[in-house]
This record gives sequence, C-alpha cells and structure tokens, in this order.
Amino acid sequence: MAGWRLESPRVLVVDLDGSKGSAVRAATGSMVAYEGDVSFKNAGMGGGGGLRAALKQRVTGESLNLMEVTGRGTVHFAVGAGYVLVLDLAGDVLKAESEGLLALSDSLRTDVTFTGLQGASSGQGLFTTTVTGHGQVALISLGGPPIALRVSPATPLVVDPDSYIGSVGRLQQSFVTDVSWRNLIGESSGEAFSLRFEGDGVVYIQPEER
Amino acid sequence: MGFTKVTSKVVLAEVRPGAEVLARRGAMLATTGQVRFSPVSAGPGGGGYGGGIASALGRAMQGEAVPLMVAEGSGTVHYGFRGHHVTVVELDGSEPMSVEADRLLAHDASMSSSVVFLGQQGGLRGAVRGAVTGQGLFTTQLSGRGSVALLSHGGTFALQVGGSRQVVVDPQAYVAHTGNLRVDVSASVGWRDAVGRGSGEAVQLKVSGQGTVYVQASEEKL
Repeated sequence: MAGWRLESPRVLVVDLDGSKGSAVRAATGSMVAYEGDVSFKNAGMGGGGGLRAALKQRVTGESLNLMEVTGRGTVHFAVGAGYVLVLDLAGDVLKAESEGLLALSDSLRTDVTFTGLQGASSGQGLFTTTVTGHGQVALISLGGPPIALRVSPATPLVVDPDSYIGSVGRLQQSFVTDVSWRNLIGESSGEAFSLRFEGDGVVYIQPEER
Repeated sequence: MGFTKVTSKVVLAEVRPGAEVLARRGAMLATTGQVRFSPVSAGPGGGGYGGGIASALGRAMQGEAVPLMVAEGSGTVHYGFRGHHVTVVELDGSEPMSVEADRLLAHDASMSSSVVFLGQQGGLRGAVRGAVTGQGLFTTQLSGRGSVALLSHGGTFALQVGGSRQVVVDPQAYVAHTGNLRVDVSASVGWRDAVGRGSGEAVQLKVSGQGTVYVQASEEKL
C-alpha cells in the first residue's frame, strides 16, 4: 500500500486518495497538519474493532483511542516528538501497547488479548492490543529511534515492560519476577519485573522507560 | 550575522559591533570573546531594541512572559533552551515572520520586532483564536533581513501554502509562519466532542494565502 512515508524520523505522512483502501485509523489527536478535504471522526468504542473488542476493552482497561481519517489529501501525524516505526503486516500478528500505536491501515483488525496473569503485579497490564491482517502499522518510540531485537528458539529475550512497544511473530510471552527480601526493604535493582519472549520473531523496544 | 547549527538543539551566533543578537533570557550556554549581556527593558527608551513604545506596551500587557536579553561586543555565543530542537530560518526581508513569543530562541537585533495583539490582526476572530487555542493573545512579528532561531519539541517541518493550497494545522503543533498568510481558527465541535468521544481534532488552524508554515512533530507546548 503506497502513500505512507516519513517526512522526518518523527513525522508520518499519509496520502489519502479518497478510496476505502487508503483510509487509516490513527491515535486520537495525533494529527499535526493536513491539506485537502480530510475528515476526522472518532472510531467509536473499541477503536473500530467492533462491539466485542469494545466490550473487552471496557472490561480490561486496555484503552485504545483511535480516530478514523478519511477523504482526499495529505495528513501529517506525530505524537510527543517520538520516532515513528512503520511495519508492513502481511497476515502476521502484531502485539503492541495501545499507547504506542500511532496509525494503522483501515483494513487491519484490532483486538485485545490476554497475556498472562502475572502481568497484574507489574502494572504493565495483563492485556495487550493485537493487530492482524494485511496493511501498514506505525508505532511510536519515545526517547529515540526504536530498537528491533530478534528472538529465535535458541535465544530467548528478556525486556523491560516499560520500554517494550511491540512484537511480531510467533512468540510466547511470559512475565519474570525477581522479587526477594531485598525488594521488601527497598534495596531493589529497579528491575524486579521483566517480559520474557520465546519462539521466533522480532521484539521492538524504545530507549525511554514509561 | 546568522546562526550556525552546532547540533540539532544548539546554535552558534557570531556577535560583532553592529551585529548584536537578541535572545530569550537565560538561553546562553557558552560564550567566547568580549560579549556582554544586558536585559532588554520593556519601558520607553529601553536601549532602542524591540521596536518602540507600542511594542513595549504590548509586552507589558503580555506580562513579559518571555523576557529578552541582548548580546553586545565581539565574540561568539552558543544558545540553547531546555533541550528543545532549534530551527534556523533566514529571512531576506521581503516577507515578515510571525512566531509565538515562547517559541523564539534568538534573532538578529537588526530585525525589527513588534508584539501584535491578535485582536488587532483578525478582529474578534483573532482574539477568539488566541483564547481558544491557548496560544496567547500576542504573537511576535519580525521583519527585515536576518536569521531567526525557533524552538520546537521534536523539530519542525515546513509546509508551503499558496494559491489554492490551503493547509490545516493543529494549534498545539503550530510554531511560526512567514509570508502573507491568514490564520483562522476553525472549530468543528460537534456533539461527539461534548460527550468526550471526539476525534481530538475539533479546533484547527486554517492557513491560507502565500507563504510557509512551520509545524512541530508534537502537540506539546514549550
């Protein structure tokens, strides 16, 4: 799908030709400038993912606020001076933190999935947003350019949940806790909870911790 | 004359007698040579910088939100402010630049600046624009030849406006513009916004005319 380009590392530009295929859904309030005849409409409950997704979000608190961008023209998107990472999905599954999602093709579906009970204690949430289908997705990486880390069956990966922005591929995700008596007396290393990925895929992290 | 970019966030200015530099107070990072800094007073007869009594009045009304200082003597000065990105714009004197007072890092003192009350420019609509968008009711207008250093969160990109090409900008992302442009606020506040289900793009700035708009990659104010 043509029409997506980066004006600078921090600004995503999308050309809309008026067809359904060029329409995008973007994070609410992420438009910084546009030309042409473009309309912005709240994608409704569930970020346009349907009633089921809306219900799940209501229950899980994984809030995804998206707006539908349609029409004919050129739109510039940016959030918090973060770096933009554009990914092409060809039937793959992208898991992402909802606040790190900048924009996605209208043809992609979003849903909320359960990632594991132990997430409750890390505060990062037990649920994650999944994006499936064919199209393009833009993620936001705060604090600097995103870093892609390869995961293979031989090399599992552990990341800080606060800097995790998304992952693509067949990956099993689990929480690792390292709580001992030291945490109780306030002498922790600050890395008590981490996310462990096993399988085959790519994990994206940002230089800033949320 | 002119600013040289040292990094994306720091500019270097050369100061000579007759080529003084006005900058936001406290933005000096380092200096070499014989350079003196003095505050630019807002009152009448305040050193001759800043465009006279009318603009002094403007500043007084503005509450002097962004005090300036002048660098005189001969030497070099490094300027930067709170790690924000800096954009250097060269003006050839043919068209003026309008910039939010708090977005201005430094400019050549040879340029004349005036604080414009928005209500004066666009009537009541202008005043409404300032109030609605939270941009403030005053903008600084710079005219003449020289270079200007603008502050932004995440850097700026320039959009050309001309003829039938009209550009719409998010008020929080707007930084400055050059040329003869009309900036109108357009509010398309519907019932969706009232119930908190808006797209977050209810208030927009419509820019028309002939010129260039500078937009930053963030919706954060400085």
